[in-house]
Amino acid sequence: MNGMSEQTMPVRGTPASPPAEVTRPRRGASPRASGGGARWRPGQLELFVVGLLLLIVGQSWIAGQLDAPAVQAWSTVFVAISVQALPFLVLGTVISAAITAFVPASLFSKVLPRNPALAVPIAGAAGAVLPGCECASVPVAGGLMARGVAPAAALAFLLSAPAINPIVLTATAVAFPGRPEMVLARFAASLATSVLMGWLWVRFGKAEWLRIPRRFTEAGSGSRWEDFRTGMQHDFLHAGGFLVIGAITAATLNVTVPKDIINAVSGHWWFSILALAFLAVILAVCSEADAFVAASLSGFSPTAKLAFMVVGPMVDVKLIALQSGTFGKGFAARFSSATFVTAVVTSIAVGWWLL
Amino acid sequence: MKRDVQSVVLVLIGAALLRISFGAEIYLRYVKAGLRPALIAAGAAVLLLGFAGVVRDGILRKHEAAGHDDHEHDHGHDHEHDHEHAHAHAEGHEDGHGSDDAHEAAPDDRASDHGHDHSKGPRIAWLLCLPVFALFLIAPPALGSYTAARSDNTVAKPAAKTVDAGFPALPPGDPLDMTLGDFGVRAVWDTADTLKGRNVRMIGFVTPGKNGTWYVTRLVISCCAADAVARKVEVRDAPAPPADTWVQVTGTWFKNGETGSETATPAMTATGVEKVATPKDPYE
Repeated sequence: MNGMSEQTMPVRGTPASPPAEVTRPRRGASPRASGGGARWRPGQLELFVVGLLLLIVGQSWIAGQLDAPAVQAWSTVFVAISVQALPFLVLGTVISAAITAFVPASLFSKVLPRNPALAVPIAGAAGAVLPGCECASVPVAGGLMARGVAPAAALAFLLSAPAINPIVLTATAVAFPGRPEMVLARFAASLATSVLMGWLWVRFGKAEWLRIPRRFTEAGSGSRWEDFRTGMQHDFLHAGGFLVIGAITAATLNVTVPKDIINAVSGHWWFSILALAFLAVILAVCSEADAFVAASLSGFSPTAKLAFMVVGPMVDVKLIALQSGTFGKGFAARFSSATFVTAVVTSIAVGWWLL
Repeated sequence: MKRDVQSVVLVLIGAALLRISFGAEIYLRYVKAGLRPALIAAGAAVLLLGFAGVVRDGILRKHEAAGHDDHEHDHGHDHEHDHEHAHAHAEGHEDGHGSDDAHEAAPDDRASDHGHDHSKGPRIAWLLCLPVFALFLIAPPALGSYTAARSDNTVAKPAAKTVDAGFPALPPGDPLDMTLGDFGVRAVWDTADTLKGRNVRMIGFVTPGKNGTWYVTRLVISCCAADAVARKVEVRDAPAPPADTWVQVTGTWFKNGETGSETATPAMTATGVEKVATPKDPYE
């Protein structure tokens, strides 16, 4: 949403510009690099098409290079993870873009109580009604803050939304057939972690740690459908790119790490929990797909899988990058490490209770 | 990533998802059959999004659009010269576009250094080209003997109820067509030996074992190929075909270890091994 509105309204990035300046551009800017000058330069599109043609011409050669069984298995697993996650990603970005475009964000600040400590659990629970994956929740949380929602409440929302929304919980139920307690445990542990983190922020958070994005989701095309389209386009491409990183990492681990090493780790209960929590950080699988990855980690205890699914939507490498970009590096470092610890402890407690 | 390229990439992603869901049903190499409606819906949605981008953002009329957009953008865009520009615009509109575009080209190019950055989408989106190219150009094959050889044979212990009450009688048939899963469960956990003396037939691919042994194999996926586990049955008294060949094996159960315990492994004595075509859904 951030970048989307940046595209539709280039003025937004500059703090100096007063709001009155904002006119309503009809649609996104066409690339100036190739449009403005008289001299023709190859633009990104031209280079892209040339690259595409080269790939098609070299198709059989490339296929021949990928003949080794390990490479083939890698590419199959990589494609499988991508293909499997894409429908979920599309669904998530459609809904999150629709909410951003059609639901006024001011609604959220109206329903929340003034007292941050009270607003935190409500905002955390509200995460359940905003379906989307973690990539979408970062800009939404930034927008909420920019509209005057207490940072603690927005942060609780940021953590809970990608973990406890219906799409993610449905995916979890599908990934663990016949194990409804897994869905319940995920819901409880994720909500508890996000509310705890919100309260921690109320108690210990310092305003200077957090860079609140200004006029964050100032949508500006004038047409809601156009906002929807550009929002979905940006969210999908952004999240999809990070999804590919996750798929690459996961496929590499899948093919290279001998199964007995994972099994050796899985025997040790607290080490296996930490191992999967770290794995969640490194893999950075979209929360809409991570239940399937957790389910495939056969040999691990349910609590370790729970830790994987609780940590994953709240702390991972792509989220740390997104948060650094939105709220500042110092914030991302503090917030992510605190969230990691909280999430692991909560998972152990909930796992002990429910699983 | 520029907007026009974004649209093209979206169209390619949508087309790739639709392509693997129809026709040769390539998607079955990667995911369960149940995901097909979701794949089709997602593919259509992304394709639509891409086409909408092509139409709205414009690829072919980039040049004229750039000239036109300038007018509207510069109001909010070029802060330092805002007043002069607004003025220039007013004039431009009255006088027509011709000379005004040339006049504006220089300051606008400079000013748009800023907007230029923002006209790009997320750079990370380039990575989405990888799975698209992989699907269109290579369409990686279903997992095979490489994965199966690295995976333990997993014969999950059936529910205690089944073990205590005994397995139901096998249906008639000579040879009896079975899945590797059914065969494996009975071969390991059926203490009543219902497989004994039955002529069975199974389809799978060849996974070489140690010392010239080989297995007829199927992989099982619960969601996508990343979670594949192997079901293997050792085939005895038949020379090993090349790895990954799809075969139909006919034969009888060979008791290998104590049934009802972890020591038993599924095995069969083959009376016939013939090559078959790869099944549409390679996973069991």
